[in-house]
Amino acid sequence: MYIYEKSKALFDRAVKVIPAGIYGHMGPANGCFIPVSAYPFYVERAEGPYFWDVDGNRFIDFLSAYGPNILGYNHPEVDAAAKEQMELCNCVSLPSARMVELAELLVDTVDSADWAMFCKNGTDVTNLAMISARAATGRKKIVKFVGGYHGVMPWMLDIGYPGVLFEDVDNIITIPFNDLDTFRRVLDTYPNEIAGVISTPYDHRAIDASQLPLPDFWKTVRELCTKEGIVLICDDVRCGFRLDLRGSDYYYGFKADLICFCKSIANGYSISALCGSAALKSAVSSVFTTGSYWLSAVPMAAAIKCITLLHEIDGPAILKIKGEKFARAMQTAASDCGFKLNVSGELSMPFLTLEDDDSSFIMQELTGGMVPRGVFISSHHNLFVNCALTDEDFEETYNVARASFEDIRRNHPEMYR
Amino acid sequence: MMNEKAKAACNIHAVLRNMENLCELDVTSKELIAASNVAIQFSVPEIDKLVLAFRQGACKAMRGDGLSYDMNLRFSSHEHLNLMIEGKKNPIPTKGLRHIPFLKKTFTALADRLSYYLQPDPERLKNDKSYRDASTKMLAYTAFYAIPEIARYDEVGIHIARQIDDGIINIVVGDEFAIQLHSKQGVLETSKGRNPNARALMLFDSMETASGILNGTLDSFGCIGTGALAFRGRITMIDNLNKLLGLVPNYLG
Ligand SMILES: Cc1ncc(COP(=O)(O)O)c(C=O)c1O
Repeated sequence: MYIYEKSKALFDRAVKVIPAGIYGHMGPANGCFIPVSAYPFYVERAEGPYFWDVDGNRFIDFLSAYGPNILGYNHPEVDAAAKEQMELCNCVSLPSARMVELAELLVDTVDSADWAMFCKNGTDVTNLAMISARAATGRKKIVKFVGGYHGVMPWMLDIGYPGVLFEDVDNIITIPFNDLDTFRRVLDTYPNEIAGVISTPYDHRAIDASQLPLPDFWKTVRELCTKEGIVLICDDVRCGFRLDLRGSDYYYGFKADLICFCKSIANGYSISALCGSAALKSAVSSVFTTGSYWLSAVPMAAAIKCITLLHEIDGPAILKIKGEKFARAMQTAASDCGFKLNVSGELSMPFLTLEDDDSSFIMQELTGGMVPRGVFISSHHNLFVNCALTDEDFEETYNVARASFEDIRRNHPEMYR
Repeated sequence: MMNEKAKAACNIHAVLRNMENLCELDVTSKELIAASNVAIQFSVPEIDKLVLAFRQGACKAMRGDGLSYDMNLRFSSHEHLNLMIEGKKNPIPTKGLRHIPFLKKTFTALADRLSYYLQPDPERLKNDKSYRDASTKMLAYTAFYAIPEIARYDEVGIHIARQIDDGIINIVVGDEFAIQLHSKQGVLETSKGRNPNARALMLFDSMETASGILNGTLDSFGCIGTGALAFRGRITMIDNLNKLLGLVPNYLG
C-alpha cells in the first residue's frame, strides 16, 4: 500500500498559504477523497495513462485529469506542436493564424458548428453561451436540469452555496432531466420568457449514477425549442470528443444552437471553445467578452494537433473499447468476490456504483483499497478512460480491484453472498 | 442574512436548551440547582415552546405545546427574546410568580455559567482539558441543535434543507460523544448519540479537532486534508449539512 509522506508535507505547507490547501475538484474536500488517507495530493510527472505522485508512487489514472487527458499524458505529438508554437509566440498583442486554423478545423469537425470562438475554461464558454442566448432572444430565463454541472458562476450554482444570492438564480429554472412533461409545463408557464435551455448531453451528475437520455427526449426538446424560439445549448465540456467528434448532440441525434467544448479539446492545454449556428453568429459577436489569455497561440496549436489525431485514430471508438475493457475488469473483479458493480453513463465516462450500497459506504471502501494500490479512481464522480490505456493496465486494474473487494469481504462478512 | 425569528428559535432550542447539558457537565451548575424543583416555559410567538425542568439536580429540556410547567416566561416578540439572551431585556413572567427568586438568582447564575462555556476563554481552552471538553460539547450541541431551526426559518436554510435526502447523519467526536441529525422531507431534527442506521457520517478525530473547528482556530479544510475531519457515506447530505453549518454564525455570533 502506498504512503504519501511528501504529499502530506506539501499539503501542510499549502494550507498556510492557499485557501483550503487545494481548492476545487482536485482537492481532498471537493474532490471527495474518501478516505483521505488513500489519496496522494501532489503529482510529480505524468505519461500516457499514468501519473507519479511526489512520493514516487505510480497510478493508472482513471480520472484522466477529470477529462482533459484523452490521448495520454505528455503526448509527444501534441507536445511537439505546442513546443513548436511556443518557439514562435504564445500570448502576444494579436492572435496568431492558429486561431483561424483551429476555428476552421472545428467548423469542419463539429456538426452544429458554423463558427467557433475560444476561451480558457468550461465555465467561460457555458457562461458566454447563456449570455449569448439572452442577447439573441431579448429574454431572461434559462432552463437547466437537476444535477447538471456547468461551472462556477453564481447562476450555475444554487442557493446555499456561500455567496450565491437569490437574485443570482432568479431567472434560472431547474427541472429534472428526461422529464418532458415538466419541460412542457415550464414552456407553458413562461411563454416568450425563456432565452435558453442548457444541458449536458446526458445526466452525468456527481454522486449518483448517470442517466442516458430517453429515446424521445432530445428530439422533443429540440422541436419545442425551435417552436418557441429558445436557444438550445449543449454543454459538451465533459463529453465533447469522447462520444463523437461531430459533437455529442450529433451522437444523440439532435442539433444544438450553441455547443460548449473544453476538456478534451487540447489534451490538457488550456483552451475551451464555443461553437454555434450561423443564426446566432451576430448575437454572439455583439456580446462583450474577452480574456487575457483567451487568444494565446500555444493551446490552439495543441488543440489543432489533438483534434487532428483524434480524427486519425477515431478517438471515440477507441475510448469506447477502453471503456468496455475497464467495465469488464471492474465488474468481473466485483462478481468474483460476490459483489455486483453497476457501470452507468457512456463507456468512455463510466460511473461506478455497487448494488445495495445506496449511501456509497462500500464504494468508498473500494476507492480506499484501490487508490493506495495504484489505481486512481473516485467514488463520487464519473471516471474518464483515455486512449493510452493498455491491456496490461486493465489486467492490473482487475487485480487491484479484486484485492480491494477481497478486503471489503473480509471486513464485512455479512455482505458475502 | 439574519432574521429575528430564526435567531429566536436558535436561541431557544439551541442555546437555552443547553441548560440541560450545562447542568450535567458543570459541577457548579449542578450544585446551583441541587435543591431546585421548578419547570420554566419559554413562550415566543410562532415558535415551539421550550420547557426547562430543574428537578433533582438535573435539567431536562422539552419542546412543544401542552407540557407542564411551573412558571411561564412570555416574550412579546422574537426581538424581545433575542434581547433577553443578550442581557438587554427581561422576560415577562405570566404564571408562577413565586418562582421569580429562582429566575433572578439561580437562573441568572446558570446563564453566566453557560456563557462561560459557550464563549470560551482561549487560554483556558488550551490549559484546562475538562473545561475544553465541556465547552466543546456544548458548542457542538448548540451548533447542531441550531441547524433544524435554521432549516425551518432561514430562507436559505429552508432551501438547503429541502435538498437533504431523508435519513440520518451521525456527527461523531472521537470516542467522546455523538450527535444525530434526522432528515425527513426537508424537516430536520437533532438528538444525542450515535445512530446505527446513519446514511452519512461526519467524524472529528478528537475533542481537540472539534474544539478548534468550532472555535475557528483550526481550518476545517486543512483538517479534511489531514483526516482530522472526515466524511463517509452519502456525501450530498454532508455537503448540505456543511452549508447549513455555514449559516450558524449568522445566528450564534
Ligand atoms: C459539463 C461541464 N460543464 C462545465 C464545466 C466547467 O468547466 P471548467 O471547470 O473548465 O470551468 C465542467 C467541468 O467539470 C463540466 O463537466
